[in-house]
Amino acid sequence: MFTLLRDLRRLRRQIDLPSPDRPRSLAIRHVDAGSCNGCEHELTLASGPYYDLQRFGLGVVASPRHADVLLVTGIVTTRMHDALLVAYHAMPGPRRVAALGDCALGHNVIGAENTLAGPVAAILPVDLTIPGCPPTPDQIAAALLELVDRDPPATGRLFRRPARE
Amino acid sequence: MTTAAMTGYRAEIEAALASGWRARNLYATGGGRTVRVLLTAPDGRNQLTAVDADRDGAVPSIVDLAPGLAWDEREAHDLHGVAFSGHEPLRPLIDHSAALKAWTVAVHGHDPYQVAVGPIHAGVIESGHFRFHVVGDRILHLDARLFYKHRGLEHAAAGLPLPDALPVVARACAACSAANGIAYATAVEELLGLRTTVELARARTLLLELERTWNHLNDIAAICAGVGMAAGNAHFLGLTERARRINAAVTGHRFLMGSVAVGHSHIACDPATVRSARQNLQEIEAAAEMGWRELSFNASFQDRLGGVGVVDAPTAARLGVVGPAARATGIADDARSISSYPDYQDFEPATVSSPAGDVQARMQQRMLELRQTFLLLGQILDAGPLNPAQAVVDDSTPPIQIGVGLVESSRGATSCIVERNGDTVGRVRLRTSSYANWPAVAQAAVGNLLPDFPLINKSFELCYACCDR
Repeated sequence: MFTLLRDLRRLRRQIDLPSPDRPRSLAIRHVDAGSCNGCEHELTLASGPYYDLQRFGLGVVASPRHADVLLVTGIVTTRMHDALLVAYHAMPGPRRVAALGDCALGHNVIGAENTLAGPVAAILPVDLTIPGCPPTPDQIAAALLELVDRDPPATGRLFRRPARE
Repeated sequence: MTTAAMTGYRAEIEAALASGWRARNLYATGGGRTVRVLLTAPDGRNQLTAVDADRDGAVPSIVDLAPGLAWDEREAHDLHGVAFSGHEPLRPLIDHSAALKAWTVAVHGHDPYQVAVGPIHAGVIESGHFRFHVVGDRILHLDARLFYKHRGLEHAAAGLPLPDALPVVARACAACSAANGIAYATAVEELLGLRTTVELARARTLLLELERTWNHLNDIAAICAGVGMAAGNAHFLGLTERARRINAAVTGHRFLMGSVAVGHSHIACDPATVRSARQNLQEIEAAAEMGWRELSFNASFQDRLGGVGVVDAPTAARLGVVGPAARATGIADDARSISSYPDYQDFEPATVSSPAGDVQARMQQRMLELRQTFLLLGQILDAGPLNPAQAVVDDSTPPIQIGVGLVESSRGATSCIVERNGDTVGRVRLRTSSYANWPAVAQAAVGNLLPDFPLINKSFELCYACCDR
């Protein structure tokens, strides 16, 4: 155990990811609406030692009740349509929706029409699109950070955004 | 290929199974008018036995002879309207419109209660539903319902020119993209009378083993996550990332997508790229061995794995379990040992020394196979640079209507059957190792603590995507 931890610390120093001082965080709930699992694998690695989303305050949460962002992968199948809506409506405001991967955006979709409900935008209001097949962990991280950095909505804002030096 | 009369169908299959053949795939075709079964001999010979539906659209069920094909019959019913006489009850599988009673086992008494989990799960994981019948903390029974991710890919492939349908199959699942693509390409090449050359086989073996590498590393990481062993999870996720970078360096895609084609391979790696991949793989291997040693000596971690999620050998054999999950019960079955690829000629399936069929055995099986794979990859890469390769026309074989491809994906044997309609796909049936093994996950859960289910599930780490298609 000790050897593993020591090795991970060495790896961290070697990869040398910057730890920026960001005052914001984002709780992400992921929903697979019909993907090939590629986006999920890359999203998982985005929390791994080489990308470490958590140093930006970005973390995956277990429930939509805890989430700021609904991160949806896959073309939405008819069988996932209702569950997706339940997850969205369970999120307290302010909430955002991010469509992750080409399928979620409706690009290059393969499948039978009668079993597909449509891209995420056909079902939910999409605030962020992350194209790619699949997008790399880098691309996922950069896109989610862009969402964090956007101005928050007027309602529900607790603190003024600190002035940049 | 034989078409048996109604009475001969069951007899033929029963005889084949009695002589050691395996029933690997069952599907409906011809608009539900015909059902075909793929049987494979221990030496790799294939046979397709077919039966035509009667006036009422029914064929005899073989679920008593080959329980592993239960899902295949249910799918043929749901998607193609075939009735299977003797399959009682014929529960809906892909049809989600049925009431709970139709697809779950009834539970009686005061103490049992149901826990419904999914289709959306707490982590970053694919969608699927698990309905547990629980007494206290113990699972009495699990009814799994998948196919939330059913996208109708086989339907979409029908009518496409044979080479063009490959991406449909290869993108069914990112984790098995190379394996599924190669299974399809092999089936189509059989149809077109094309023979695999040594160079083409080498390229495809490389892809299969690169895919196995990152999947097995990922599976070990996932098992660590299943018990909250964050250090082990982080270590093996880091190695999974490195393996994926090798995929990108060799093929241009982190999941090897686009690297398989019908009749040829366009992968080209100069000596420097090959050397670099070789070097990286050696480093990954060393780091994996270090991580494995640490996990092996972590008593509190190992304590979580032994005796959990047991699938014994008779159950595995009865259900037609494949891959590491089967080999962890001692069943030394691996499609690589019947492969015609030169690099697999001396391949011997590995089985763990204590084949308890539990989480611990399935995890150990991954490491055992990783060592085999690292050796194979070393062999392949040491042979020099990779050049584009072409299959050659084999004039000795007559044109055929149905082609079969069988590969050992990272989760086990996957078969792809392609029926041609001239130069287009008439019917494609992709039956992956995940599809074969899902029923075993339900069996493995019985008697275990409910909180151990994520661990049990991760010890199989099956794909929902290539099951659902």
